[in-house]
Parts: sequence; structure tokens; C-alpha cells
Amino acid sequence: MKGTLRSALLPVWNVLCMLLAPLDRALQPIANVYNRTLGGHFGEMNGLQFAVISLGFAAIATVPFWSPFYSETLNITFAVASIWAIFAMSWDIQSGYTGYISFGHSVLSGAAGYTIGLLILHYDPSMGPATTIPVAVLASLVLGLVIAVPSLRLRGPYFSLITLVGVLLFTNLIFAFSGWTNGELGIHQVDPFTYEPWVRYYYMAIPMLLVALGLIYISRSNVGMVLVTIRENERAVSSAGLDPTKFKISSFVLSSIPMGIGGALLVYYGRAINPTSFVEISNSIEIIAIAVIGGMGSVVGPLFGSFLFFFLEEEFLRDVIGDSSLRTLVLWLFVLSVLVFARNGVFRVIWHGLGAVRGDSE
Amino acid sequence: MTLLEVDHLTKHFGGLVAVDDLSFSVDEGEIVGLIGPNGSGKTTVFNCIMSTYIASEGEIRFDGEDVTSEKTHGVVNHGLSRVSQESNPINLLSVGGNIKLFMLPNSFLACALPDAVLARRSDGGPGVVDHAERVGLEDKIEETPDSLPHADVRRLEIAKALATDPDMLLLDEPFAGMNQAEIRTLSEQIEQFREDGISMVVVDHNMRGLMQLVDRVVVISSGQKLAEGPPEEIVENQDVQDAYLAGEHGGI
Repeated sequence: MKGTLRSALLPVWNVLCMLLAPLDRALQPIANVYNRTLGGHFGEMNGLQFAVISLGFAAIATVPFWSPFYSETLNITFAVASIWAIFAMSWDIQSGYTGYISFGHSVLSGAAGYTIGLLILHYDPSMGPATTIPVAVLASLVLGLVIAVPSLRLRGPYFSLITLVGVLLFTNLIFAFSGWTNGELGIHQVDPFTYEPWVRYYYMAIPMLLVALGLIYISRSNVGMVLVTIRENERAVSSAGLDPTKFKISSFVLSSIPMGIGGALLVYYGRAINPTSFVEISNSIEIIAIAVIGGMGSVVGPLFGSFLFFFLEEEFLRDVIGDSSLRTLVLWLFVLSVLVFARNGVFRVIWHGLGAVRGDSE
Repeated sequence: MTLLEVDHLTKHFGGLVAVDDLSFSVDEGEIVGLIGPNGSGKTTVFNCIMSTYIASEGEIRFDGEDVTSEKTHGVVNHGLSRVSQESNPINLLSVGGNIKLFMLPNSFLACALPDAVLARRSDGGPGVVDHAERVGLEDKIEETPDSLPHADVRRLEIAKALATDPDMLLLDEPFAGMNQAEIRTLSEQIEQFREDGISMVVVDHNMRGLMQLVDRVVVISSGQKLAEGPPEEIVENQDVQDAYLAGEHGGI
């Protein structure tokens, strides 16, 4: 089936190559400047890849300026997409790279969110983000260690199971202590960064881009190589004199830092924190879905995946399909079809396509 | 000076005794052959030394230190490295990447540093290319392992082991699947490793290829030591010949 799809698309692909190859050649000199300077740290690109990445980042950086031409809600959609991009990239550097799939990453953002909520509710309502966010990130980091140290000492599926139980446990803790946490209703006494929508977008997008840069750098460093090897063959890591447990725990703890940042942003974005939109397992599943459609194990893939996911959910499908449950169904069918037909993710398909217009590879 | 000491090593899996009270030692600069019919426990001995398996009884000392219950990566960092019988390169990485992985420091933070900084730290020590050169893979650094012929994949396995900067190499059937010319080249390379100060234990199921290479042979059968001595003596040994004939393994 895949073969026939491929051969059916081949003429289209050939025409595309013919059109794009000269463009790629023309852009190559600019890409070479990048390759010589930063390519070693962030990966080398050809002309087209460099152009698309640059345009992509430029588009993200200027959303408030062009989004009104598409729709009034687009900058809100992309602000949310930025936060979830942070979650999906954080999940990816741990689960996508090492292959130890976490089903409970929302616990980490939830810990940050509830830290802020509880501080404001019970300690000092006037506390600003400059104090609450560092504490919140620290809380995620500590929780990350608490989960990682016992679970990642084991090989195989136990880690996934523990994260699964962890998220259920955390959700129930919130309900069990609802006198403190306001249970299902959540905590609503949070003041936002700003009420100005376009400024708010930048409050979400700038941290997202910084997290992306940091995680791309790490994934391209030797750390990324070790984490991928853990996924491919954990024994090979031991034979290389590297402690797999140490690297697995470190990657989880590393992942919990941006999870905390994202969780904190989500609190100040939504001005509230509750189990449904923060902690419950459906949030973890959504993080995984976003990473999967973008492409696991690439960091940039999940970033792209988040913008694609929220664009489809909140903009494109909303315009096409009126019924909300039908819309959700279509969205998840899309996730499923990516898993079946392009299991390395949509971003990788585009990326490798761009890399191959001059017939360098497949 | 004794570098590796295997002292009354026993390993059983349930009721099956794979290695039975085995003792031998390897001196610095020595190449020792560990031979025995198929299923005699040679690879299990390596697995116990490298802590892939946990020894049921006995002790393993390396460079004077007890490494019996050390984790695999710890054993490697003590200066022991193994070339397994089966090759397992990471096909997502290039040949150079596979070698580089084995040169990395065991520290998450140090691995996050740029390569230039790491190289400065290692003070001009051997690089990826140097390790590839030692086994003749210097022209294939950019290739991926799945595009290499069998003998090159085996060479890559040796380059990886060398990249951990070992004092001792454990080679598990290094000549398997190689033709005569390849065996000769590899033997010369192994000689060179010895010149470079690496001691070795070479496992094989017969003496073919080992005669010229090893200083001493340890023969095991059913997990027990059968004989030990210089290769010329071992070929003549009646017990050894009987063990091979009984197992119908085509002779020593």
C-alpha cells in the first residue's frame, strides 16, 4: 500500500524537484555561512532547509502582525501552541530520544502549576511571576528526580508503567486534598502577565524559542548521541563505559525543567489551574500525540507538531467541521494516520524531502 | 605483573552449571587464548568478567581491584573492554559516530560540551580517526555501519573497544566469518595492540589462527578448566584431544 502511494506521488515529486532544485542551489551559499558557523552545534542544512527553517522562525516571531489576516483567534491559538510546543519538546528529549516513553509528563507541568497556585492561594496572593516561576520550576525538577531515580534504574516497560501510575496518583492527590487545592474547580486567583493579546503571545513564544534552542543544542551534542543509543541498544552504552541509568535520569530531570517553565506559562496564560487542563492523563497523551505527528526524536519536529496540531484543532477544522466531538474525532484520526503512514512524523517527511530535491538522497 | 585474575569463578543458570570453579590469570602484556568446544562456557566467562552476568561464586580482580560486582560501565572504566561475537553497531550513527560514542566521558554535563572543548580536555589524545586507523577503517568514517562488508563491521567493533582506551581487550571469536587474508591482517593488528601496551584474552573454539598469536592457552570444557599451557603443548595434550573428539567438534 505504501509502495503504491509512493509511486503514485512520484511524478508530483519529480516536478517539485525540478522547480525547487535551482532555488535550493541559489540558497546554498547563505546556508553555507550558517553551516560554517553554527552548523556544528545545531546541524547542517542545505539551501532550502535553511530557508524553510528561517522563514518558520520568522513566522513564529511575527505572528501578531500577520495572524489577523487569517483569523482573529490565530494569535491565541499559537500562544497555546507555544506552551504545548514546550511540553512536546521536553517530552521528546526524554522519551523520544531514549525510547523510555513517559505517559505522565503532565505531572511535571502540573507540579509547577500547582506550586504557583498554592503559593498564591495560601502563602501570599501578591506574589509575582518573578518569584513564583523559579520556585515552580524547582518543584518540577524535584518531582522529576523523585520519579526518575527509582523508575529509571529498571530496564524496559516499568518506567512507562510508573509514569502512568504517577499521573493517576497525582490527579487523585489533588482531589483528596481538595480543601487545599480547590479540587476539580481549581485555583483562579492568578493575575495574568498582561491582558494585551499580542504581548501575551510573546510571553509564550519567546520562552518557547529559548527552550527550543537549548534543547536542539543538547540533542545535537554528544548527549543526544548517547540518548539515541540508549533507545537503539542500551547495552552498547554500558560497553562504551557510560552509565545508562545516569543518562536516563539526567534526561528526565533535564526534561522536567522546561516542563516546569511550560506549566508556569500555562498558569499565567489561563489565569487558573485545575486538574482537567493540567494534570489529567489526557494532557500527557496529547503531549505524546503532538510529538508523534511532528516526529519523535528530533526536538524541532514536536515544535512543528504543536503548531500543526493546534492550527488544525482550533482554526482549520473549526472552520470546516461544526460539531466539536466530530472535530476531535477527525483530529485523532489524523494522528493515527500519521502513525501509520509517516511514523517518523510530518516534519521529517518535509525535511527529508527538502534535503533531497537535488537528488542527494532518496 | 598480573592484570586480570579470575578466581574460582562459578556461574549457574538454575540447575545448569555454565562455568564451574574456573581460575586463570593474565599478565600484563600477555595474549591468552581461551578455547573450548562450543557450549563450553567461554562466552559466559567473558559475560561474568564484564558484569553482563553476575557471577554466582568466585571473584574477578582487575589491576588489583575487585570488579566482580561492578556494573558493566564501571568495568569498562577500569580498563577492560570486550569485542563481542555478534556485532551491534548503531546504524543511525556513522562509523565515526559509533567510535566517538566509546570515547565519551561518563558525564552528562561533559557530553553536553562542544567537541572542541572535549578535545582540549583530552590534551591531544587519540581521536576518532586515530582509532579508525588502528583497524584500517580511516577511509570509511562517514559511512554507516549497515553499508559495510562483514569484515569491516568486525573491525568497527574492535575500534569501538579500543576507543575506551583499555588496558585489556577481551576478544570473542574475532576471526569468525573472515577469510585467510583478513585473518592475517587482523592477527597483525592484534600484535600491534600488544605493542601498544594492551593485554588480551582471545576466545575461539579451536586453535586455528591462535597458534602464532597467543603466549598461553587455557582450555575449558563444560565450564571446567581442562588444561593450561603454551600452544604447542596444548595441541599435543591428550585430554584436550579427547574432549574435542567426544564433542565431535572437528578437532582442535
